[in-house]
Amino acid sequence: MSSPILWIFLPGLLGVGFLFYRPKDRFPLVVAASVCLFLTWVAWQIPIDVVLNVGPFSFEIFPSLSFFGRSFTLTNAERPLLSFIYLFETLWLLGTVIAKPARLFISVSLICVSLFVAALSVEPFLYAALLIALAVLVLVPLLSPAGKPVGRGVLRFLIFQIFAVPFILFTGWILTGVEASPGDLNLILRSGLFLLLGFTFLLGLFPFHSWIPMLARDSHPYIVGFLLFFLPTISTVFALGFFDRYAWLRDSQFVYQIMTLIGSLSILLSGIWVLVDRHLGRVLGYAAMMGIGYSLLGIGLSGGQGVQIFFALLLPQALGLWVLSASLGSLLDKDPNLTFEGVAATFTSSPLSIAGLLLSVFSLAGIPLLASFPPRIALFNILATQASWAAMLAIVGSLAFAMVGVKLALAVLQRSTRPRSEWVEEAQPVKADAQSEIKDLYSWAFLIIACIGFVGFGLFSRLFLASVPGFASMFPLLFP
Amino acid sequence: MDTGLPGLIVLVLILACAAALLMNRDWRWVLGALGLQYFLAFLMITPSWPLELASVKLVAGWMAAALLGLTRLNLVEEPQSDTRRLPTSPPFLILSTFLVLLVVSGAAPALPDWARQMSIDQAWGGLILVGMGLLQVGLSSSNFRSIVGLLCLLSGFEILYASVEASLLVAALLGVLNLSIALVGSYLLQTVTVEPRQ
Repeated sequence: MSSPILWIFLPGLLGVGFLFYRPKDRFPLVVAASVCLFLTWVAWQIPIDVVLNVGPFSFEIFPSLSFFGRSFTLTNAERPLLSFIYLFETLWLLGTVIAKPARLFISVSLICVSLFVAALSVEPFLYAALLIALAVLVLVPLLSPAGKPVGRGVLRFLIFQIFAVPFILFTGWILTGVEASPGDLNLILRSGLFLLLGFTFLLGLFPFHSWIPMLARDSHPYIVGFLLFFLPTISTVFALGFFDRYAWLRDSQFVYQIMTLIGSLSILLSGIWVLVDRHLGRVLGYAAMMGIGYSLLGIGLSGGQGVQIFFALLLPQALGLWVLSASLGSLLDKDPNLTFEGVAATFTSSPLSIAGLLLSVFSLAGIPLLASFPPRIALFNILATQASWAAMLAIVGSLAFAMVGVKLALAVLQRSTRPRSEWVEEAQPVKADAQSEIKDLYSWAFLIIACIGFVGFGLFSRLFLASVPGFASMFPLLFP
Repeated sequence: MDTGLPGLIVLVLILACAAALLMNRDWRWVLGALGLQYFLAFLMITPSWPLELASVKLVAGWMAAALLGLTRLNLVEEPQSDTRRLPTSPPFLILSTFLVLLVVSGAAPALPDWARQMSIDQAWGGLILVGMGLLQVGLSSSNFRSIVGLLCLLSGFEILYASVEASLLVAALLGVLNLSIALVGSYLLQTVTVEPRQ
C-alpha cells in the first residue's frame, strides 16, 4: 500500500460514500472519526518506506503514487503534519455532536481534508493551488445552505479563491525561469509580485480579507471555523514550500520584512475591528485573521527559527478555533441571535458553551496560562530584537481581542445579576433540549477536553513544543 | 494559432464573445457566447497542446455551459435580479471594454518576451478573456453573471498557461475546476428554491 492511498484516497472515498448514506443516525460519524483516529495513529507510529514484520506477515507503506504522469508523495518528513491534520479532523468530526452543523459536514470535511493532503503531496508542488481551489469549491454548498439566500460573503470568497489559482500557477512557471537565470531582477520582481498577490487572495490578507467576517456572520460558525482553520494552515505550509525550494526567496530579507509588516497589520486590524463588532460569528472570522497574522509574523522571523515558531503557534490556534466554533455552533442551535446580548441571554441554558467560548477567546488572545501564551512569548522575545514595532502592533491587536472576552463576560454577568421582572409578557416556546446542557454528557466532555487542552498546553508547553522540530523537518533547506 | 488573418479573425471573435457575455441580458445568448468562447479558446490552445488534450478543455467548457443552461432552464423565474450597484448601460460597458482593450494592448506585446513559447495571438486572446472576465465579475452582483465571469477569466488563463505547461494532470485538474465552478454556480442559482434538508 502507498501512503497517498492511505491518507488521500481512503478518507476521500469514505467521504464520497457517506454522501449517499441516507439514515439520520451516527454511523457515519463513528466510522469517519474511527478512520481518522486510525490514520492519526498510523502517521504517528508507522514509518513510511520501511518493511515491517508482524508475525508471519510483512508490509510496507510506499511513499509515492503515480497519477496522470505526475506523482503524489508522502514521506516520513510529512508524518508529524499528517498526524496533526487527522487528529484535528477527528476533533472536528466529534465536535459535530454538540455544534450540529449540516449532516453533510462529515462527508464534505473528509473530502476536503483528503484534497488538502493531496495538495501537500502533489509533485510538482505548484499544482497544490488547483487542489486547494477544488477543496474550497466542495465546501461552498455547506457555507450557503439550501433554502436561504446566497450571502455576498460566499460569492466573494469563491471569487477570491479562484483568483488565487492563476497567480500561483504563473508564479511557479516564472520561478523556474528565475532558477535558470538568478541574476534577472525583472523576473524576480514579477515572480515576487505574483506570489504576493496569489497568497493575499488565498489567505484572505488585507485588503482582500472582506469575505472572512461576511462569511463568518452569514454561515454556520462550525463550518466557517473548519474552513478558516484548514485553508490558511494548508496554504501557509504550501507557501513555506516556496521558501524551501527557492534559494533567492529564502535568502531575501525584503520578503521576510514584507511578511512581518503584513502579519503585524493583520493582527492589529483584526484586533481593532473585533473591538467594535457585536456579532460573535464575526469574532470567529477576526480570530482566524489574527491567527494568519501570527503565522506570517512567525515565518517573517526567517530561517529555521521562523518555521519552528510557525508550527508552535499552530496547535494552540487549531484548538482555539475548534473550541470557539463548536461553542458558537452549540449556541446557534439554541438561539440564532449570536450578538453579545443574545448569547448572554442564553447563559442559564448554555453555561458550558459560554464557558468554552470565553476560554477560547482568551486563549486566542494569548492570555497567560492558556495555550497561545507560550509560543507567542517566544515570538515576541525574538521580535523585540528584530522588529520591535511589529511586536508592539501585535500586542495591541491581541489586547484588543482580549477585550472581546471581557465584554462578553461583562454582558453575561450583567444579564445574570439583573433582577427578574414579575411580569411575563408572552409565553415563549422552549426547545426541548434548551434547558438540558448542564445534564448533557457530551457538553461536559467537550468542556473538559477544552480545559485540559488550553491549560495543559499553557502550563506544560515544553511537552508539546518538543515535537515542533519534527514538524519543521519537512522543510530540510529552511530548517537544516 | 499563428499570426495572420485566421488568427486575427479568432481574436475578433473572442472579443465579440466576451463583449456579448458582458452586455447581453438574456441568459440564453450569454451561454451561447460562452460555448462559442470555449471553442475559440480550444482553437487558441491547439498550437501548444496535442488535439486530444486540448479537446479536454473544449468538452469541460461545454459541459460547464450546459450545466448552467440546464439549471437556468429549470428556474421558473429570475432567482435574483442584478441589484445594479454599478451602471450597466451599453455606453458604460462599451467604454469599459475599450479600457480593457487598452490595457491588453499594452500588456500583450510584452508577454511573449516573458515566455518564448507563447504566440502574440495567444497573449492577446488570453488577456482579453482575463480582462473581460474580471470586468464581468467586478461589475455584476448576480450569482449567474459572476460565475460566467469566473469561467471567462479561467478560460483566458488556460490559453496563456497552456503555452507554458502541457501536463496531463493540469489539464485534468483545470477541467475539473471548470466543472466544479459550474456545479457550484448551479447550486447557488437554485439554492433559494431548493427545500432545505433536515
